[in-house]
Amino acid sequence: MTSLATTVTAGTAAVPAGRRRRRLAPYAYLAPAMVLFTLFLALPIGYALYLSFRTVKVSGLGLGKGARTEVWAGFDNYARALTDPAFVASVGRVVVYGLILVPTMLGLALLFALLLDARRTGAKGFSRVSIFLPYAVPAVIASLLWGFLYLPRVSPFYYVFDRLGWDVPDILSPGLVMFAIANIGLWGGVGFNMIVIYTALKAIPSELYEAARLDGASEVAIAWRIKVPVVMPSLILTFLFSMIATLQVFAEPMTLRPLTNTISSTWSPLMTVYRDAFTRDDIYSAAATSVVIAVATFALSFGFLRLVQRRAFAQEG
Amino acid sequence: MRLHTSLRLAAVVAATALLATACSSGGDDTSGDSTGSSGGKVELTFWTWAPGMEEVVDAWNAKNPDIHVTVNKQDGGDPAVTKLLTAIKAGSGAPDVFQTEYQKIPTLVSSDALADIADVLPDGTKDHFAAGTWEAVTLGSDAVYGVPQDSGPMELYYREDIFQQYGLQVPTTWEQYAQVAEQLHTADPTKYLGTFSATDAGWFTGLTQQAGASWWGIDGDAWSVDIDSEATNKVAQYWGDLVEKGVIDNKPMYTPEWNAALNDGTQAGWVSAIWAPGVLQGNAPDTAGKWKMAPMPQWSEGDDATGNWGGSASSVTTQSKHPKEAAEFIAWMNSDQEAVTILAQKGGLYPADLPGQAEALASPPEFFSNQPDFYTVAADIATTVQPFTYGPNVNVAYSAYNDEFGKATEAKQASAFLDAVAAMQKATVDDLTSSGFTVKD
Amino acid sequence: MTTTLTRPPVAVTHPGPTKERRQRPSTRATLVLLLGAAYCLLPVLWVVTASTKSAGELFTTFTLAPSTHLWENVQELSAYRGGLFWRWMANTALYAGVGALLSVAVSAMAGYGLAKYQFAGKRAIFNVILAGVLVPGVILAIPQYLLLAEVGLTNTYWSVLLPSIISPYGIYLSRIYAAASVPDDVLEAARTDGAGEWRTFSRIAVPMMVPGLVTVFLFQFVAIWNNFMLPYIMLGNDRLFPITVGLSGLLNQGASQPAMYTSVITGALLSIIPLAALFLTLQRYWQVDLAAGAVKA
Repeated sequence: MTSLATTVTAGTAAVPAGRRRRRLAPYAYLAPAMVLFTLFLALPIGYALYLSFRTVKVSGLGLGKGARTEVWAGFDNYARALTDPAFVASVGRVVVYGLILVPTMLGLALLFALLLDARRTGAKGFSRVSIFLPYAVPAVIASLLWGFLYLPRVSPFYYVFDRLGWDVPDILSPGLVMFAIANIGLWGGVGFNMIVIYTALKAIPSELYEAARLDGASEVAIAWRIKVPVVMPSLILTFLFSMIATLQVFAEPMTLRPLTNTISSTWSPLMTVYRDAFTRDDIYSAAATSVVIAVATFALSFGFLRLVQRRAFAQEG
Repeated sequence: MRLHTSLRLAAVVAATALLATACSSGGDDTSGDSTGSSGGKVELTFWTWAPGMEEVVDAWNAKNPDIHVTVNKQDGGDPAVTKLLTAIKAGSGAPDVFQTEYQKIPTLVSSDALADIADVLPDGTKDHFAAGTWEAVTLGSDAVYGVPQDSGPMELYYREDIFQQYGLQVPTTWEQYAQVAEQLHTADPTKYLGTFSATDAGWFTGLTQQAGASWWGIDGDAWSVDIDSEATNKVAQYWGDLVEKGVIDNKPMYTPEWNAALNDGTQAGWVSAIWAPGVLQGNAPDTAGKWKMAPMPQWSEGDDATGNWGGSASSVTTQSKHPKEAAEFIAWMNSDQEAVTILAQKGGLYPADLPGQAEALASPPEFFSNQPDFYTVAADIATTVQPFTYGPNVNVAYSAYNDEFGKATEAKQASAFLDAVAAMQKATVDDLTSSGFTVKD
Repeated sequence: MTTTLTRPPVAVTHPGPTKERRQRPSTRATLVLLLGAAYCLLPVLWVVTASTKSAGELFTTFTLAPSTHLWENVQELSAYRGGLFWRWMANTALYAGVGALLSVAVSAMAGYGLAKYQFAGKRAIFNVILAGVLVPGVILAIPQYLLLAEVGLTNTYWSVLLPSIISPYGIYLSRIYAAASVPDDVLEAARTDGAGEWRTFSRIAVPMMVPGLVTVFLFQFVAIWNNFMLPYIMLGNDRLFPITVGLSGLLNQGASQPAMYTSVITGALLSIIPLAALFLTLQRYWQVDLAAGAVKA
């Protein structure tokens, strides 16, 4: 790095050397990131890929040294992963989960952001910090807290419902547990997405809608007709990142699981991976399932990424 | 701009200082590979989660300045096993000594995680323990994979005050238990005599153990799986009926809800094991003195059997560089009177060490001050634990239990309980076969 | 703000003097926002009241009724195994602080390189980096452990720090900030003046990127602070645990021990406070601009 930092006197022979350094510079700047990426992302992924084609065979009772040997398994692990009814069910479940959570979360984030950007809203500072606060809480802790709020006997909600004489169904029952888990994701994510959208809103030059205001358009109309379309790129990106995050849901169902009968050990695809790797001590199946998940997510995002590149980096040279 | 620069500068300085501390303290903390040198101090690491371990270790360290043990507290149960197995696979990172729950021993041995300490164990250690308990650490072979520490014979715990309030008799058979459950629930629909927990496979295992089940078996070079046995189905049917009738609750144990229920009496009984006083003390301290312990209800009048829930041994891992010293430590910890007394009193463990039990358990637990003969009764019960063999894929069976019985308890159908047993059998056999084991029919 | 001109009599969509509308806050809008705030604050409120309860009260009293045992709970938590909780806090600060700092350095350089230069393989490299966002931590944990075990680095501070430095999302954000806040002409001017690439970067570009970089730092800080899976797998020595792993251990003591709910809840409260304070003091840096520049097109 220091070899590039030469102070050159103006003019003369500096130009060709400088241009060469300029060509090499980006690679140098990217070097640390690429090295770390290779070490901690690419290599582990490669290793997981390798493991997905292997398995372990046992001889005899399988007790003691030498009883287990690692062998080549071909596509067996993949076949088993793709036909495993638990895995397939978990994929379906998590898609539904995503469809429930992401539009709700983004809708609310957008609403809050617009309200923060509107002229006539009060208590902006307090609300902004409050809504953002859940982002500070790790998913494991958040699920524990909400667990207390969900379990009828210790929940203040059910206490109040009881006093009011309402018969509210148990939110951890089979039909509603999806919403219980989605709610935790919503609670944790809406603040961050709100900030993202709000940042984009603040960047809109006010000339764009001052004219509309002069024409007498209402704030709602301005929001809907002008602001939202203009921040659409941010919305799309947020949608993409949120979708990826929700498809990887893991901590919330894992933490809630011991509290209720209605969450199986394979509720989400990543829980299936966890079950294979840690419960069944079968890292090979886990690796295969992970590869399937990663490939599927990548395929889904590929189109989005192409769209994003063109629109998001318009101003780069 | 100036503020940012100085902020960043301060951060860098702080970080460097922290890093320096990190590097130095990282070096001090042994990472599992002992730093033993010839003639120097031997350092051992001990992964455990039971309380009271530090007091025992302190006592050992005071007596043995040349063999120093450090306790690393882990998440209880499965997570610790997973970490151990990962470390074993990786070739480094495993501790010297590990707390091995009995049902995990076959799994650990089959992953080559536990060292055979038959040669380095002090003579006479074996005689401290009951035959059945010792078998759990030898798996019927000549090798010794650990030293038993504690056990968990099961009993019935009940709220004496609530029983008196509703005029209930303490059940001695399961038939009576069902009747009492119905009596209680009819008298007060908010109260239950107990709950069927789909998250506690060990509990259910103990119940079937009492009925005579043994889910795995060894036949020469092959394993056999017998979860779907008559005994298991009998137990499943029994509890399924109770849940279907609604006289027994269907919610998991060890949840905030269950804790609240222990406190306010809506759970008036608990089929549990000898370590229950510690749990009750922690979760429902205000109910001290209101509970009583009785032998588990029997399937036939006059029978004398119980199951086992929990309990562990201490084992030396295959990565330990000092198996002899480690074996010395665990033998002392689990069979020396002083150590056993500390384990019992500070850790609330029921020691498996037969000679040491009397002195270690001289007085009843604080929580059961109303039952002075608590440990006398417990000692009798402990001799009636039925045999049970664990296989190499206990986790799979337990995970299947969680999922299948979770569905069944939610559905509140007795037939679903039987389906769950069958599903457990299938999942366990399939897993063994796909791993390459020979499974006998 | 701009001044309003008197409106022509034709366009009357909303009658009423503009002056009045500008001063009086809309109750509806404020109410909606406050409802959102209440929803978000509720579990926090719960944690605050629950941590004032003793173990006996936790499951016997109305959840939102506060009690007076907060100090005792904190003391009990601090006494646990000789102050281990505070060591966990220090560990977490180390992992998050140092990790985020190093991450910002790496991300800033990578983002600047991607944003301000044209070179062969740029799109490919960026796509590959971004694909890293798609790989969940659960999948990486074990292979990362196995790889680090090869060099004997597991169960050390490095085992958690090193994998935390690389952040595809951080690089993505840095690229956007570099593009948005560092004008090309300024760079050109510096180059014509004879400054070398590194000098241009460190003396000119970085100061312009600082607001964005602070955001990247905060983002990565929170991500590492809240991370559970990575330290869980990497660390066996409980003196190296961060708070997330430590607290989960208090909950999972095995069947024969009661879960230490009171300590966990108190610990959760104490762990939220530093982050909340960080949010409050560095509010103006929370400007996550995902698509900067697209607006100005």
